[in-house]
Amino acid sequence: MKMFSVSHKTAFVVDHCPYMAESCRQQVECDVLTKSRGQGMIPLAPVSKSLWTCAVECSMEYCRILYDVYPLRKLINYIVSDSEFHILNSWRQEDQSTHELMSALAAVGPPNPQEDPECCSVLHGLVAAVESLCKITEYQHEARTTLMDTADRVANRGRIICLTNAKSDTHVRMLEDCVQETILEQNKMAAGSDRLMSIQQCELVLVHIFPQGEDTLVSDRPKKEVSSLLTSEVHSVRAGRHLATKLNILVQQHFDLASTTITNIPMKPTLNVCEQEEQHANTSANYDVELLHHRDAHLEFFKSGDLHMAGSTSRDSGLKETVTLKWCTPRTNSVELHYCTGAYRISPTDVNSRPSSCLTNFLLNGRSVLLEQPRKSGSKVISHMLSSHGGEIFLHVLNSTRSTLEDPPSISEGCGGRVTDYRITDFGEFMRENRLTPVPESPDTEASGKPPAERAKAQLERYTRYWPMIISQTTIFNMQAVVPLANLIVKESLSEEDLLTCQKTVYNLVDMERKNDPLPISTVGSRGKGPKRDEQYRTMWNELETLVKTHVAGSERHQRVLDCIIACRSKPPEEEERKKRGRKREDKEEKAEKNINKDSEDKSWQESERLKGVVERVKEEQGESEVIKDSPDSPEPLNKKPRLEEIQLPEKAKGPVSLLTMWTNRITVANSRKHQEFAGRISSVNNKAELYQHLKDENGMDLHENGKATR
Amino acid sequence: MPTVVLMDASLSMTRPVSLEQCSEELQRKNLAVAGLTMLFEHMANNYRLEFTSLVAFSSLWELLVPFTRDYNTLQEALNNLEDYDKTCLESALHGVSNVVQQEWGHACPTQVVLVTDGSLGIGKGSLRHSLQTLKGRPEDKKFPLPFPFPAKLFIMCIANAEELQMTDTMHNLEQLLQLNGGDGQIFTMEGQLCLKSVQSMFGRLIDEVYSPFPAVLRCGNLASDVQVFPRPEPVFLDEEIDPMPRHILTDLEIVGFIEIGDISSPPVMSRHLVLPIAVNKEVDDVGPGTTEEPEEETSANQQAGKIPNFCVLLHGSLKVEGMVALVQLGPEWYGMLYSQADSKKKSNLMMSLFEPGPEPLPWLGKVSQLGPISDAAENPYGEDDSKSPFPLQPKIKRSYAQNVTVWIKASGLQTDVQKILRNARKLPEKTQTFYKELNRLRKAALAFGFWELLKGVAELLERECTLLPDTAHPDAAFQLSHAAKQLKLASTGDSQYAAFDQNINPMHTDFSGGGAGM
Repeated sequence: MKMFSVSHKTAFVVDHCPYMAESCRQQVECDVLTKSRGQGMIPLAPVSKSLWTCAVECSMEYCRILYDVYPLRKLINYIVSDSEFHILNSWRQEDQSTHELMSALAAVGPPNPQEDPECCSVLHGLVAAVESLCKITEYQHEARTTLMDTADRVANRGRIICLTNAKSDTHVRMLEDCVQETILEQNKMAAGSDRLMSIQQCELVLVHIFPQGEDTLVSDRPKKEVSSLLTSEVHSVRAGRHLATKLNILVQQHFDLASTTITNIPMKPTLNVCEQEEQHANTSANYDVELLHHRDAHLEFFKSGDLHMAGSTSRDSGLKETVTLKWCTPRTNSVELHYCTGAYRISPTDVNSRPSSCLTNFLLNGRSVLLEQPRKSGSKVISHMLSSHGGEIFLHVLNSTRSTLEDPPSISEGCGGRVTDYRITDFGEFMRENRLTPVPESPDTEASGKPPAERAKAQLERYTRYWPMIISQTTIFNMQAVVPLANLIVKESLSEEDLLTCQKTVYNLVDMERKNDPLPISTVGSRGKGPKRDEQYRTMWNELETLVKTHVAGSERHQRVLDCIIACRSKPPEEEERKKRGRKREDKEEKAEKNINKDSEDKSWQESERLKGVVERVKEEQGESEVIKDSPDSPEPLNKKPRLEEIQLPEKAKGPVSLLTMWTNRITVANSRKHQEFAGRISSVNNKAELYQHLKDENGMDLHENGKATR
Repeated sequence: MPTVVLMDASLSMTRPVSLEQCSEELQRKNLAVAGLTMLFEHMANNYRLEFTSLVAFSSLWELLVPFTRDYNTLQEALNNLEDYDKTCLESALHGVSNVVQQEWGHACPTQVVLVTDGSLGIGKGSLRHSLQTLKGRPEDKKFPLPFPFPAKLFIMCIANAEELQMTDTMHNLEQLLQLNGGDGQIFTMEGQLCLKSVQSMFGRLIDEVYSPFPAVLRCGNLASDVQVFPRPEPVFLDEEIDPMPRHILTDLEIVGFIEIGDISSPPVMSRHLVLPIAVNKEVDDVGPGTTEEPEEETSANQQAGKIPNFCVLLHGSLKVEGMVALVQLGPEWYGMLYSQADSKKKSNLMMSLFEPGPEPLPWLGKVSQLGPISDAAENPYGEDDSKSPFPLQPKIKRSYAQNVTVWIKASGLQTDVQKILRNARKLPEKTQTFYKELNRLRKAALAFGFWELLKGVAELLERECTLLPDTAHPDAAFQLSHAAKQLKLASTGDSQYAAFDQNINPMHTDFSGGGAGM
């Protein structure tokens, strides 16, 4: 439906002239005497509603259904007309509620039969309705403001529903003419105004109400075009029940509604919320409840033409179509995610009947019901689900046909599917920390700049700056001792207390190192040959530093956490930096003399030093291979394999690689198979440290001394 | 999105193609088969989750291959296609309509690829005849277009545009597209009819309809290259205000996470598989040595399986935690990612698209207003995960949740009056309920201008007062006559007593001291 279709604005004009005070001549016995008390008592005379009461209660029912199904964007302006017009509410969204309207109607009261009928007319109301349709609604205003240049795309259409008691067909024609003239007049005014919009299309629905037992003076007439701007239709209806039915049909037509009857609702004691009033609680009769909702919920039925198969029946003497759906006993739980193609708000047609309120209360208590499409063949097709979300009940349309996505390849068969040590639990925890919550709209959030959803994304960015995906890629996230710091460092800002906690965590780690406590990495297939303890700690410190470094720009306190780590860790990183730089310089000097083979090998070594993740992966593969090659015959390939990986992997991680590099790598690998490996490299289990042992020793000593001297 | 290939098997398809440079004689049918072979090959390699069926038609139609992902079967059937009599498109389209509805129902968007030489029959049963007799047909003999399901019609003409424009064929085909709501396209061959031009024509179809949709799934700094299947279709919103089609972004950014119970089976426009794809395939492609290639390939696949992928991590955690990830698809357009189990063993990362708009699900509120929990003063989920900020409550309760008064049926009115009387007989214990029900009735009667009812109920209460047994609490009589008096006053419409927001309050009596109450 277009946003600004005719049903965006509905003006109700209800006749409040003296003749509306007349009785509808339909009597209601409200003094129902029970058998035990009935004896010898004269029952109270039955009461009867006036035409006005009938018109008001039926129009309120129209509004009730409308507001239930469309709480937003479908607006009603209620106008009462006697010797003048009384506008009971405005187009504003906050004015749209039955309570508002009832309150205003109570203030108007019933028509005064003593008033001079000559001064009274429904015309005042009709003119006011046209004027009102020209007034811009907040939605139209918003759309016009956002569209700017193409603001003229925002249409202004509307409907006037006039409940009156007309004198004759000529009288009806006079009313139509009057509306037509007023539209032309108002459109001229609107052309020169910013706050008014000219009417492009108006539907006039005249409902002539007459008392029971009288003949109508006005004939029914289907919709016809009065002009290009105005269409008009006339319904001549008896007051009371008939009027209610008519307005129920009209609200369905006007707002594309359809009716579903839920059948076979069991009246079990557990379901029965009105037990205190239920006198025969043991009779477990199944009952039916009719609901109205947008007709798209029946789209599948319309298209397949199986409306009849789906149990469509005509109720209320053939005036109304309803689709019957059967209550389905295996109830659904809320943690199941159904494939649902639509969800439509509902409104019970008979809102305060016992069956209706039992059903709605059952749903409002948070339970859901699956609905089954009755089929002649006997096969069971669950096509809908009733469920409430925050005090609103929705009819969900469930997909009941074959899925085109059936039998897809499992995720374990695709990329990354063979990896088995994902940090599933940790990421679960991460997701819980990054759950969303509605943030009330307030000037405060406007001031802070970013809308909440953007802040949520920013938080995700912070939390994932350093987030290894698999267990064997990380040391620190496997350590309970690091948790306090890891949880705090991702925060946007740190309090003094947070900083203290972080520092304590670092001290704690220093303590652990001093005590030579084991670290979780060593357990992965080390078999006593794993990296030495101090090597493990160095890896851990490096990783911790990497984590904290990604947050240093956040605040001065984040920087202080890093400072603390640098100050406390066993091998200050400057030493490594200097070492690297020193080596690079060396490399540059020697580059010319070195052959390609050596150079590329060196490069890859540097690469592996810089790219932490890669180093980690190498280690992991090493670990893996050690586990797999768990046989005394295979120590030889054990050393070869990780070396092979070392050379290839960094290239992979870098992305595109030049053909030359690839070729030289291949040659290197091939060559390395042919000759005796360096003694140092062979003896190394954890590659890099052992290889540069001499460098580390010399430089390390120097730096330590230097470090101390400067401090 | 399933595909139906509707292949023209009429005699006119066997017309030879006049070729100057080519020595071998080719029929139009051979060209069509070559084109379709190319399409099937492409699908088998790059779009293999697509279900395709093959229907051949002449004056009759036949379902040669029902919907399948086995492209060898399709190819085989295509190769064995025989030649039949004249073209009758209308019945064939009916056939397509039946085949699709039986398999997929009416909601599943479908692609129909019609392959024809553009001779659309003569006389009765020809497309020209069908189009001329569109109007005034009985309900059961309606033209099959538009299909009862959303469908795109792609017409592959084994002919060039000039040829088709010489007759009214082009015009008729255009009309056919219009009948389908304009959804689809007519493809013609450029230049000479030859293998090259037919391949270029099918190439255009593949590019437009059957190319995979690559995207990057991001969660902060974690990311994975993915393919979204089937291709997400552009969406039109209100055409009056927003006539431009909306496409989803190729950068899918996660906003945050929500529990399945909180998102609670939301309505979605479409569902798509999110399949992680290997990033540096190009590197593998330039692998050296032809002899080593097969080995290289398998190792490349294994390598891809062994490299940790964010999709797999995300899928695993979503599954374990029972959560969904809210993902942004474009400006004011969102969707959700979740684990979808196909069977006990297999499960997958699935993405569902919500209706575009700032507030696709009323129970979540505006998505742009969803922020991190750290923004809230206290954890809205509670320290022990016992609470949830969802669902949002609407500002105004719906009629069924607020005990409204409706007297359209006499029974409604009678029930309300009886409720008051039942409580009246149990005074003073039921004083609160009695006045609650009385005030509810009073409010409704005032709004509906139903003063007569107020008088009637007042009389009923007065009668109840006289019927009180001797054992009754003295308070009962006081409350009844007080209530009756107030109702009568309200029924005069006197603004002092008939204000809507005013309530009748219980009369203050004090019998506890044992003395007189008044």
